[in-house]
Amino acid sequence: MGSLTFQELILELQSFWGENGCVILQPLDLEVGAGTFHPATFLKALGPENWNSAYVQPSRRPQDGRYGDNPNRLQHYYQFQVVMKPSPADFQERYLDSLRRLGLDPLEHDVRFVEDNWESPTLGAWGLGWEVWLNGMEVSQFTYFQQAGGLECLPVTGEITYGIERLAMYLQDVDSVYDLVWSKTPTGTITYGDVFHQNEVEMSTFNFQQADVDHLFAYFEFCEKEAERLVSLELPLPAYEFVMKASHTFNLLDARHAISVTERQRYILRVRTLARLTAQGYVASRAKVGFPLADKDLAEAALKALAEESAT
Amino acid sequence: MSAHTVLFELGTEELPAGEYESMAKILANAVESGLEQQGLAMGEVRMFATARRLSVLIDNVQERADDTEQEVLGPPVAAARADDGSWTPAAIGFAKKQGMSPDELQIIGTEKGDRLGIRKITEGVLCADVLPEVVTQAVNSIPVSKRMRWGRERHEFLRPVQWLVLLYGAEVIEVSLFGLTSDRVSRGHRFHGHSFVAIPNANVYEATLREQFVIASVDERKTLIKNQISRLVSQDERVIVDENLLSEVTGLVEWPVALRGSFDKSFLSVPRQALISSMREHQKYFHIESPDGDLVPSFITISNIESTRPESVVYGNEKVIRPRLADAAFFFDTDKETTLASKALRLERVLFQRDLGTLAQKQARISDVAQLLSEQLGADKATIQAAGGLIKADLVSDMVGEFPELQGIAGRHYALHDGESEAIANAIEQHYWPKFSGDRLPDSPEAAALALADRLDTLIGIFGIGQVPTGSKDPFALRRASLAVIRILLAFAPSASLEMILTTAKQSFPSDVLDEGVVDTVKAYLLDRLPAHYEDQGVSVDILRSVTAVGTESVGDIDCRGLAVAQFAGSDAANALAAANKRVANILTKVDEALPAIDQGLLSEPAEVALHRALTESQAALDAAVANNDYPKALSNLAKLREPVDAFFDNVLVNADDASVRLNRLGLLKELRGQFLKVADLAVLAR
Repeated sequence: MGSLTFQELILELQSFWGENGCVILQPLDLEVGAGTFHPATFLKALGPENWNSAYVQPSRRPQDGRYGDNPNRLQHYYQFQVVMKPSPADFQERYLDSLRRLGLDPLEHDVRFVEDNWESPTLGAWGLGWEVWLNGMEVSQFTYFQQAGGLECLPVTGEITYGIERLAMYLQDVDSVYDLVWSKTPTGTITYGDVFHQNEVEMSTFNFQQADVDHLFAYFEFCEKEAERLVSLELPLPAYEFVMKASHTFNLLDARHAISVTERQRYILRVRTLARLTAQGYVASRAKVGFPLADKDLAEAALKALAEESAT
Repeated sequence: MSAHTVLFELGTEELPAGEYESMAKILANAVESGLEQQGLAMGEVRMFATARRLSVLIDNVQERADDTEQEVLGPPVAAARADDGSWTPAAIGFAKKQGMSPDELQIIGTEKGDRLGIRKITEGVLCADVLPEVVTQAVNSIPVSKRMRWGRERHEFLRPVQWLVLLYGAEVIEVSLFGLTSDRVSRGHRFHGHSFVAIPNANVYEATLREQFVIASVDERKTLIKNQISRLVSQDERVIVDENLLSEVTGLVEWPVALRGSFDKSFLSVPRQALISSMREHQKYFHIESPDGDLVPSFITISNIESTRPESVVYGNEKVIRPRLADAAFFFDTDKETTLASKALRLERVLFQRDLGTLAQKQARISDVAQLLSEQLGADKATIQAAGGLIKADLVSDMVGEFPELQGIAGRHYALHDGESEAIANAIEQHYWPKFSGDRLPDSPEAAALALADRLDTLIGIFGIGQVPTGSKDPFALRRASLAVIRILLAFAPSASLEMILTTAKQSFPSDVLDEGVVDTVKAYLLDRLPAHYEDQGVSVDILRSVTAVGTESVGDIDCRGLAVAQFAGSDAANALAAANKRVANILTKVDEALPAIDQGLLSEPAEVALHRALTESQAALDAAVANNDYPKALSNLAKLREPVDAFFDNVLVNADDASVRLNRLGLLKELRGQFLKVADLAVLAR
């Protein structure tokens, strides 16, 4: 089978979800641990406004680096993220169609939805759903958001996260991520290793050995203050950028083993507090303009609820 | 009257495999009892369930419930007419209340004579009319462990609800739930079946789904899976079909197809539990054993399709398990590069609990306490001391980091690798036993001493800092720890004093850390767990109370007395003596005076003389039986007191006018009560 190259896989997913009414966005230009952090998921999941989007998100997990030695673990990898709000009734079927588009026939391959509930302590978010198994391998995460930034989600955002390296490794039948064919060009085949191996080696070295702990601690404090300050100035979007930066800084400190077990909880709580503040600020700012992307009835209900809340 | 089959199917997105079956059971029961309450007779009730549907199918449900007749009684006939034959106001008033004239009333014969009245006929309900409400209430009664919303509405369930089928025979009955309206349209298997499938009649539900590659019956799928598994192994291979795993995989498929895959046999050098964990916990595979109990480098997975290329499914699964097993092998090899003793040093950096110190400190306390208790358990102190310094060391190993359920097991392997003795390796592994209720106990007294000390340390420590478990919150599993303490003591040190054991555990902590009263608190908590321990042995809460009311020295003593009372309870003699004890106890609590020794000269009534004689005769035999812990014999002795006691209460007035006679009789009762209290306070058992 002429299986898809890595870049073709991304392009197929983009066009598939584009055809399904999703706004195709480009990756966020900040370091984040998962596609969920992208404002197009986290912030858009808040409040009553509708939103459908899909995008690739480079995801950084400093702890997972293995200096390019492990065939399955990376400190920088890609997620393909789909969010649909409200979650459509045929969301699962659409997802299965996307697998068919990639050349995976569910009458040949065993596809299952296995219970898996998702929680992000730093974002104060949780949802219920599944991990999707392809012949026993987890290839996607499927979640119905119930809460984000400590706020109830209504309408509910349905989120699909594809682990695209895994899917590609399966489609291309390779055992090492570095052997993935990224693209076939007139001048030769470019592999994932060609593109990213050196990056994994150097970034692992940086994450585990060279990241400046004192500076990172100070920077975390700065991000925290900045996020609080910007929320108070009713600038939730820039504030949220500092939440993401604080979160990544925390991840780096964690990779440097600079945070003790008990301290760890406290740091997570600090980021969550910021995420909550920002979420509230974001909803307030959208309320000000009347939730323009929401169904009328839900916009009115949400505005009324906010008015009652501020009255008490 | 005709009858038809009722079908209700709640169609959902994939429900968690651990919950769908019990939800379907509750749904089926609730629909059944709902129809029953409406007076509708029915035949067999069946429950069906897959991850995508919860269904109930009931045969022969009456179309219309039988009419019921109700009598409304008015005044007696004698009071209904005045002397002149006219209706009395009572009769007129009753008739008016019923909306009729007195002449229309009937005469109804009752046990207390003829009465005026009416017979009202209530028409039976139509099944079709009541079904929507019955189904609605049944669905609302399904417990949902974690509720979620979906789409833009506020409906809540465990996963999104997709469709509803409600049929009475061939007729669609309309009900609206979760923003959906019922129809006859179900759905087939996700990949083999049709997206939409009309059920023409409720009684062909199962067959219609089967054509759509859905085996709706849970039991049938389980049986299918078991049969398929046995076809995949050779005659001399064995598959232990773990019931929990079987239930789980049954919940993940509508059309089960078992497939066998394999892995490289070089992985077999890794502890089998790690391999089994990798396969079972992560991949939900069944493992295969050779005749001598060794693992075979194969696995069985249950897929949900009849694949056009089954080898693709097998190949994919083999590709997934390989890196997982490679991880386990890697951890095992790296762990063996350092000794357990050196790992134990790293426990100093692992917190057990903020106020209770590190795991190193906990381990040291466990070792000390186990050594102090060694004599009580008949254990070898030197072995305990040697194992005690290592029991928690594997918690910092990579293997246990990845597979927490391997705690103890990994330690055992590493100990043997380090050249430690089998006894030490055993103690390391088994100090975690029993791991759950009903699990086996440690084999050796040394392992038992460490297992006991570990639980005592947690109980005394956590209670000592005031973190009492509440209702559903028991993060340190103190309930389970208590039950383990009871079981270990019963098996290894039944006569050991609870007070002494708990005090020993307490003294291993620094003096200022724990609440002063912690020994009493934990003792009370342990005693409160007794009913759970005895649940299956027919020893009720009341029996345990009757026993602990008179002594809580050791669990062995409580056990002997509890079992004896349980055997005794329920007999006529027991009921009578329980009542007598309660009566005596009530009488004695009201007595303020000190009671003198019994003066035989003051005994005058034959019944009190007889009781006194019976008590005197019983005393020696009772004392001997109690001294031998032969409580059944003690109780059968006490049972002989029944007749004299009954006769005493029937014939003797305790509150005699003569104060000295009264006090003498009270003294007699006190003596009686005292004899019983040597075994148990039977008054607790009185109804």
